[in-house]
Amino acid sequence: MVNDAALAARIESLKVRNASANLDLFGRLLVDNREMTVWEHDTKLLPLGARIWRRNARRFAREFIRPDALKADASPTDYDPKPIIRKASRKGFQTLMLPLPVGTAFPGSYFLGSAALQLAVVAEEFAAESGGLALLLLAHHLGCAPMALSGHIPTVFRHLLPMYAKAILGRPEIMAFAITEPGAGSDVEETEGGACAHLVTTAKKRDKGFVINGRKCFISDGAIADKVTLYAKLDNEGIESWTCFLVEKGMKGFSVGRREHKMGQRAADASELILEDVFVPDTNVVGPLRSGWANNRNVLNYSRPVVGAMALGHARGAFERAVEFCRRTSLGTRRLIDCQDIQIELADMLIKLWTARAMVWHSCGQFRCYQSASAAAKVAASDISFEVCTRAMELMGDHGYLHGGLTESLWRDSRLTQIYEGTNQINRLAVVEHQWEAELSRMPA
Amino acid sequence: MECFTGLRDGEHDFVGLAESFARKTVQPMFEGDFPDGDPARVASILSKAFEVGLASSPDSRMPGYEYGIWGANPGDSGNRLSAILLSVIARTCSGIAMNLHSQGLASSIITASQRKLAHPPGRVAAALQEGYGLPGYLTLIDPAREGPEAVSTMARAHGSGYVISGNKSFVYGMSGTEAFVVFCRVEDGGWGCFLVPADTPGVQVTGISERTGLRSCGLFELSLKDVEIPADARLDEGDAASLVKRSVCLHWLGLSAIAAGNGQGALLAAKRYASERYQGGTLIENHPAVRKLVARSEARVETAFALLLKAAESLEDAGDCLRQCAIAKLTITELGFQAVTDCLQVFGGYGYMEDYRMEKRLRDAVVLKSAGGSGNALELFIFEVGREV
Repeated sequence: MVNDAALAARIESLKVRNASANLDLFGRLLVDNREMTVWEHDTKLLPLGARIWRRNARRFAREFIRPDALKADASPTDYDPKPIIRKASRKGFQTLMLPLPVGTAFPGSYFLGSAALQLAVVAEEFAAESGGLALLLLAHHLGCAPMALSGHIPTVFRHLLPMYAKAILGRPEIMAFAITEPGAGSDVEETEGGACAHLVTTAKKRDKGFVINGRKCFISDGAIADKVTLYAKLDNEGIESWTCFLVEKGMKGFSVGRREHKMGQRAADASELILEDVFVPDTNVVGPLRSGWANNRNVLNYSRPVVGAMALGHARGAFERAVEFCRRTSLGTRRLIDCQDIQIELADMLIKLWTARAMVWHSCGQFRCYQSASAAAKVAASDISFEVCTRAMELMGDHGYLHGGLTESLWRDSRLTQIYEGTNQINRLAVVEHQWEAELSRMPA
Repeated sequence: MECFTGLRDGEHDFVGLAESFARKTVQPMFEGDFPDGDPARVASILSKAFEVGLASSPDSRMPGYEYGIWGANPGDSGNRLSAILLSVIARTCSGIAMNLHSQGLASSIITASQRKLAHPPGRVAAALQEGYGLPGYLTLIDPAREGPEAVSTMARAHGSGYVISGNKSFVYGMSGTEAFVVFCRVEDGGWGCFLVPADTPGVQVTGISERTGLRSCGLFELSLKDVEIPADARLDEGDAASLVKRSVCLHWLGLSAIAAGNGQGALLAAKRYASERYQGGTLIENHPAVRKLVARSEARVETAFALLLKAAESLEDAGDCLRQCAIAKLTITELGFQAVTDCLQVFGGYGYMEDYRMEKRLRDAVVLKSAGGSGNALELFIFEVGREV
């Protein structure tokens, strides 16, 4: 960038990594001059278990997700998801909701950090390669979460642990989570909306079980799931009676309807589930009757940081590809990355990625994820993600909107993170609701 | 009409024609399961656009020659009207609007050259861009300047004509483009502008179909290998700098008009949806969170149109039109994009699905931001041209 060789040498000598040689020994020890990527720096901040999973996940994502990303996005209905799910299961990625020895999460990070932290670091790595394949693998955890978070020991022993054992043995079952209904999207993700929601999926008590009728929509992995944790109100009652049921593929009357055509995250289906007089035995009721609403809301508390991490992954993936583009693209003899205006853009994007990661990891800072921190992390990370992906595309000029470079597919993927798991407007209301008594509505003392 | 206040006398009929074309001819392409509209219908839509005179043409016998988009009708009123017509069509489909813009842009260059063509081509497209993007300001002044943005496509005198070699990238145009208006360097170091028929030996046109948005408009890479053309194919009188400048200004203005129209279309759709869909026991338009999204979009669309019309009127001001059009492109495509993404959010999950075509609007909006110079390049351009002004 500097033509004058002498000036260039002076500038080089003034950089902190060189100038710090002039400090005395103790002064030098206080300067961190290690040349390390942000990824390496951040990984070292994590507790040991999460650190291991972050490294494993990046390796897996580059080896198995990257090669499939474009074809799974371009032709989702032709893509067979089973092989990658089997591979992820064998590596322990599909059993991270519970700690060793029944799951694969490391107990130290799980109990001293958060139950969601190890999933969140994995989610970022998967999503950096493909939003669709990341969702395909991660929606399974969302399906398992109602069972794990129900605190209902019989459910855990009867359903979750056998499923985890099968997954570890390489015969994974796929779970999905079904709350959204055609007439109730955001309603079921927020308190006031829930109170007025127009729900149709209803369970009627019968001998030794329930008969469920209704429809669910936009269900991630709905078409390929072996089992679904599905919420229904009890007959003649409101959302207060919401109860979670484990509905299994093959149950009479249970079918998959329309598969939605999405802008992004296309490798994972978003499907309609149709329930026509589906008999679900009492043993498939997750937790006590009428515990579904609380269970659902707490599932969102644990899933929103993971969605934030996915958003962060999309943005990081787009950023990395934009950097690569700027390295190999030149204006004449000068690489784009050597231009100061481009460097400033990249620095801005890097700062935003750091901000999002700080929010996501902060929301996983204690064992129990809580509503306001989870919702805030999801909003911040997804808004940042869409902005960073958009800027990455712009930085690449006309090349940014061509298929094949992954930047544009990550841009399409990132937009969904501002919508699912509650729109970002709904999530803002969740922040207000949780902090209302403690600090918003009361006058300060 | 409801979408435009302050139309001038004489503009109403043209806007009515564009609205009718958008409703009756363009809208039906979205019947069926086509996220970007039925590609099989595009050809007939464009034929109709030529027939009713919305599509401009370098052929003075065609209905759109004078009053088509970017047609020969000179003056700021023609430019203003063209920008309005593009935005009206983009409310329904940005891709179709892009076809008409590209056709009009190239036709306008041919018309402005005042070259009488014995057999004017029907469908034309302008090829200026190379490699990474549009030339920077200093390259526009001097295409041969030493430095990163030097223009590499060259025309050399050969016998009684010229030989052109080089590559042009990201050329938008109608499918079946018959001739390209190619801007390149000439031997004396200045700009030259040449009309190159697509079937000339040495011309290779490659279509790019796999892209994010504006998919109903063609996008081409143009390879020119020792393409021999006659002397009368040169459109300028020795220096094409003014034609280059006009081309850049019209391109930015057209993209801005399409972005504003796309944003307006998204706003109309979001308002309609918000007044029909229930959440939390009430229409979603009753939720303050939704009202904020809609109101913000309304403000952005209004601002975009004000700036668009100002820039359109600046086209006849040779001293400042580059700066005005660059500012318009930078600002309006961003405003349009923000309006679309906020309006998509009003739809919740349905906004992300293909059903309501909001996702298509967003894909189109992001392409409009990057096409023909993205934010970073435009910022530098505005500084450089602003210093000159």
